[in-house]
Amino acid sequence: MIPANVLRMILKKTCGDRRATVVVLGLLVGSLGLAGCTSSHSTPGVINVVGAEVQYGDVLAQIGGAYVHVTSIVNNPNTDPHNFEASPSVAQAIAAAKIIVQNGAGYDSFMNQLESASANSSRDVISVVALRDQVSAANPHFWYSPTTMPMVASVVTSDLVTIAPQHAAYFRSHEATFVRSWRRVTAALVTARHDVAGNKVATTEPVGDYLLAAMGLDNLTPFRFQADVMNGIDPSPQDIVTQQNLLTSHAVAALCYNAQVSSPVTLALRNLAIKDHVPTVAIYETMPQGLHVQTWMLSEISAIEAAIAAVVTGRSQ
Amino acid sequence: MHWFLEPGLWSNDAVRTGVGVGGVVAIVSALVGLFTVMRGQSFAGHALADVATAGGAGSGVLGFSPLAGFVVGALVGAGAMEAIGVERVRQRDVATGVVLGGATGLSALFLYLITLNSSSTGSTQLILFGSLFIVSKATFFVAAVLSAVVCLALAWLGRPLLFASLSPDAANARGVAVTRVALLYTVLMAVTVGLSAIVIGSVLSTALLIGPPAAALRLGRSLSATFTTAAAFGVAAVALGVVVSYDSYYWWPSHRALPVSFCVVTLVVVELIAVNVVRRVTTRRIVETRE
Repeated sequence: MIPANVLRMILKKTCGDRRATVVVLGLLVGSLGLAGCTSSHSTPGVINVVGAEVQYGDVLAQIGGAYVHVTSIVNNPNTDPHNFEASPSVAQAIAAAKIIVQNGAGYDSFMNQLESASANSSRDVISVVALRDQVSAANPHFWYSPTTMPMVASVVTSDLVTIAPQHAAYFRSHEATFVRSWRRVTAALVTARHDVAGNKVATTEPVGDYLLAAMGLDNLTPFRFQADVMNGIDPSPQDIVTQQNLLTSHAVAALCYNAQVSSPVTLALRNLAIKDHVPTVAIYETMPQGLHVQTWMLSEISAIEAAIAAVVTGRSQ
Repeated sequence: MHWFLEPGLWSNDAVRTGVGVGGVVAIVSALVGLFTVMRGQSFAGHALADVATAGGAGSGVLGFSPLAGFVVGALVGAGAMEAIGVERVRQRDVATGVVLGGATGLSALFLYLITLNSSSTGSTQLILFGSLFIVSKATFFVAAVLSAVVCLALAWLGRPLLFASLSPDAANARGVAVTRVALLYTVLMAVTVGLSAIVIGSVLSTALLIGPPAAALRLGRSLSATFTTAAAFGVAAVALGVVVSYDSYYWWPSHRALPVSFCVVTLVVVELIAVNVVRRVTTRRIVETRE
């Protein structure tokens, strides 16, 4: 910002010339506008960080606490994240960020484009696909794998410690809290495996596949069908029939559908499941509001477990 | 035949509905399209398809069925085209171009709004390129009723329309209301484009409207024979397209089937090429026998 006395001086000197006044006023408004854009993000001592998806933003917030300003880009649990289109405000958040956590594996490739548009060597880009020692993956929904988030938390912690060593103890204690609370998720998975492992399920989309595998469940839906729905392609009639038969013949205990990715095919399958009394479970792709990654995973695990347990007790009676 | 009609083909619900809807729409498209080709309105047909795209995308934003959106969109487009430039032939071309550009812009906006506000996926594919295998039975019913209405209207309008299409001045002199006939015909064409859009998508919908009639006209037969041939070409392209798309599932170990719209449109092109080859061979033979 230009100091007020300098401004007064400039105004006094140029007052006679009308054109100059207009120019000076224009500059003034312009600089105020620029200041307005950056001031909200440049609070001293606060580190700007970006989570490409709100679930990664949540981990950033849990570790960074009061010393970070988190912007989560894909954050609407009511739309299909695969169709996301970036807006100028997203570009601005990325340009200002010191740490970015993104999924990778083609899930959020718009991030790479925006990052190269505002190249910055002091920015840390954490790609989750690389953290998992993978280059690409058929199923990019890594946050449903129970090992992903503790890894993200650990890398985020060491990055924050490098950027702001004076708060190292603060970040490390937050990471310890995170790891402790994540144990509830792993404990729930142990119980789930004990209770429902070996049961068969159908899915509309690969969104929750890593979690289903961690629960010991067998997903009978052909992966081709799941990938087609995920990619917005029509599944082949053969795969649709296979899927319908899984439900009508009660070969599966539950249908886990992606609550955020719907098409005429997935809606018809859900209706078929309801008609044939196969329990349906909504799997969210983007973390719903009011939850944290831990509580989100716990609620998904217990929903899947409850649906299958209902069928299993029904059968034994 | 086993290699051609793969197991489970006719017991498959998606295939049966697809062939049913596609067959009915192919017949209507061929009958209406014959006049489109004779009147030289293929470009207008394509512009209607572009407005149908905007309608289909708009219905996705509002949560209506795509068929309703396609038909209403094409009807609005027909009205706009008539309202802007019905007076002179030269203006008609400009009017068509203006409607086409505006509509495509609206489609872009609506398709963007769908991704922004709803969980629906694959809308772009469904609207632009069609999803014949996921047409519901309810849509089949509505499409069949609309097709019947268009056929009845065409039967009623047919004679003056034919007259006005082949010789507008003579028709005018004989007391045919040429402009009103043209307007009614544009409405029928709009509904037909909307129907065709649910089979092969709105962008490709003119393929069914123009292709089979153009091929039938090349054979140069009597009028009634041309109508029958055009309908047969249309139905053949759709039915074979469905079978080829279904079969292609078994062609590769990855089981990646070819999109049904691609198969249908390719077969329409194959029909046109085949007819041209046949025609060239037969005319040469006639010339040779004469010599």
